[in-house]
Amino acid sequence: MSETPRPDTIDRRELSAEQQAAVEELLFRLADDEFVHAERLTEWQIYAPTLESDLAIANIAQDEFGHARLWYDLLKQLGYTEPECIWERDPTEWTHSLLVERPFDAGDWGDAVLRGYLYDVAERIRLEAVADTSYAPLADRVGKALEEEAYHREHATNWLERLTADDDGQARMQDALDDLFPAALSLFDPGPREDDIVAFGFRTESLAAMRTEWLETIGPSLEALGLAVPDPDEVAQSNGRGRYGTHTDAWHDLYDEVTATYREVDFETPVELRATEE
Amino acid sequence: MTMPTNTPTESEACTFTEFSDGDPSSEYPKTGSEADGIEAEVWKALYEVEDPEMPVSIVDLGLIYDVDIEDGRCGVAMTLTYTGCPAREMLLNDVKCAAETVPEVDEATVELRYTPAWNVNMVTEDGKDSLRDFGLSV
Repeated sequence: MSETPRPDTIDRRELSAEQQAAVEELLFRLADDEFVHAERLTEWQIYAPTLESDLAIANIAQDEFGHARLWYDLLKQLGYTEPECIWERDPTEWTHSLLVERPFDAGDWGDAVLRGYLYDVAERIRLEAVADTSYAPLADRVGKALEEEAYHREHATNWLERLTADDDGQARMQDALDDLFPAALSLFDPGPREDDIVAFGFRTESLAAMRTEWLETIGPSLEALGLAVPDPDEVAQSNGRGRYGTHTDAWHDLYDEVTATYREVDFETPVELRATEE
Repeated sequence: MTMPTNTPTESEACTFTEFSDGDPSSEYPKTGSEADGIEAEVWKALYEVEDPEMPVSIVDLGLIYDVDIEDGRCGVAMTLTYTGCPAREMLLNDVKCAAETVPEVDEATVELRYTPAWNVNMVTEDGKDSLRDFGLSV
């Protein structure tokens, strides 16, 4: 009953062990970034500066959780359970970028806006880079996620314009940019199976090409708002942290919070309210 | 600093919600109108499942992408209006249970599919009437 896949696509049952390891790394990168980014955004849901922005940030977080679910579902098809993907997974095995785990300083709405912008541009680029993936189950889901992303970027740029509208605002946003930029670069850090991900066609662009496209997109936009984008070659490098599971203390604190209810409730059976897994 | 939160920008993000993007294949929406036998009975049962937010059948909403019957086993392919839909588990279960109300169906499985991406053009004319009665502009 499935539609005919492209002849050069790889279906789940055809994966070699090497291919499966590579596609798992790709999916965990995607899913973990979305999940942790959404968790941080939810911290703003009652603190954003207007009612409209409370609603918008909550809605964006919901979309990102929805996207995390898309990618974790594909991992479930490969044999993982939801607790193995999230609730019982060792925090040192998470492969999200350093950008999304950073805590917010109290009241720093500019951080939330700028972080969303840097992240959402990167997300568009990497979803486009898997639009023609060779992995058939992933290909089915990318278009829908991409459609839902346009509004996130519009929201972020709309707020960026407001927050850089005067000198004081510009100075604050420059501080936020200087602060976030090195962590944002970690979005493009390779993991151990990066070469395989590209060689098997799971992603059709290299991380280096995606990083270049990201810099060429955010650079002119931020400079047009009066901000100076740091030279990527001169900021402190992250040495592959994040993508290899090494994280800042802030992540370990967040992980404890995120999984606290799961641990306290002590489910004897996995969390399934009404349905069985697909 | 006073934050100019209400300053109009060039963005049109808040002027309207754009649901009309997309050009679904002519195969959609699928309503089972050409189905017969057990398959037709399953479509009839699926028509009884309503969207949790709006009084409209999920078939008229265009969410059902395929129904397949083989030896008492029924496979339903469906989509969701958006990926973050919090009613996903409920809908999947409702669809499974609805399909299993057909006596000849021993077991139903439901598969989520996101291509083609759902959009409002995939709502049937009956569905659009229901949405208009509910107060939506479609």
